[in-house]
Amino acid sequence: MNIQFKKGVLEICVLVLATRGDRYGYELAVKISEKFEVAVGSVYPLLNRLTQDGYFSTYLKESTEGPPRKYYHLTAEGWNHMRMLIAEWKDFTNAVNEIVEEGLKP
Amino acid sequence: MTIRDQYMNELEGLLMKVPEQVRKEWLYDYYIHFQQAHENGQTEEEAARELGDPRLIAGELLLGYRVDQAESNNSFSKLSRAVFATVSLGLFNIIFILGPYLALAAVLLALWAVAVAVGLAGVGIVIESLWNGTFNIAQALTLGLISCSITILLIIGLNALTKAFFKMTLKYLKFNTRIVRGNQK
Repeated sequence: MNIQFKKGVLEICVLVLATRGDRYGYELAVKISEKFEVAVGSVYPLLNRLTQDGYFSTYLKESTEGPPRKYYHLTAEGWNHMRMLIAEWKDFTNAVNEIVEEGLKP
Repeated sequence: MTIRDQYMNELEGLLMKVPEQVRKEWLYDYYIHFQQAHENGQTEEEAARELGDPRLIAGELLLGYRVDQAESNNSFSKLSRAVFATVSLGLFNIIFILGPYLALAAVLLALWAVAVAVGLAGVGIVIESLWNGTFNIAQALTLGLISCSITILLIIGLNALTKAFFKMTLKYLKFNTRIVRGNQK
């Protein structure tokens, strides 16, 4: 799959993954890289950017083993942003699907 | 030295240019990542390979930081740094960002120079006339006043234009980052 294309949808996925409760960075990074062929390391800069934009808030929480984990919480702004992205994504994929189906008609 | 230490050292070395506090916070994510990978039974080698090239990670982190810096204080050097941080992410950006940026910056600079030159010319006319009587006082003052007005108008216009240039550049950088944010795996 095209790398640049993938990068664009990564943002939606990260946001959606955090809708069912707060996630820590490692969880998100691994979940994303399971589905997409991306370098796990590049998920963190993305999380950083989304936090700076106010879509995530972060806090540290002790874990049973090892150092405290950094959790990402989806803010109200994050929710809105995600809904907007999803709407755009749906419009986009619908348009592509229509063209593909039209084109492949016998 | 373990693979993790090597990886962390390399990443830290690449991020020396940002303040320590920011750097520490960034590095913590990767430190924790190794830790958690270890708990999940991954070797350090696997974890490092999965994370990807530290140079690309550093590039992406720096880019976000530079754009943010340029946004929070409107200085020309900060904006230029943001542009160069973007450019360092790939050849594509050299063509589509650095070129237009330099061209537009040059045009703006030239316009500012013109504004200043017109103003100086006005002052020059008045002084020259007082000295050598090229024009009489009334003429000299009129010419001086006209050129000063032109300069002031130019400065007002250019001020708005420069601000717009800042804003547009930042917007474009962000847009571009979203598309190109490049790591090749």
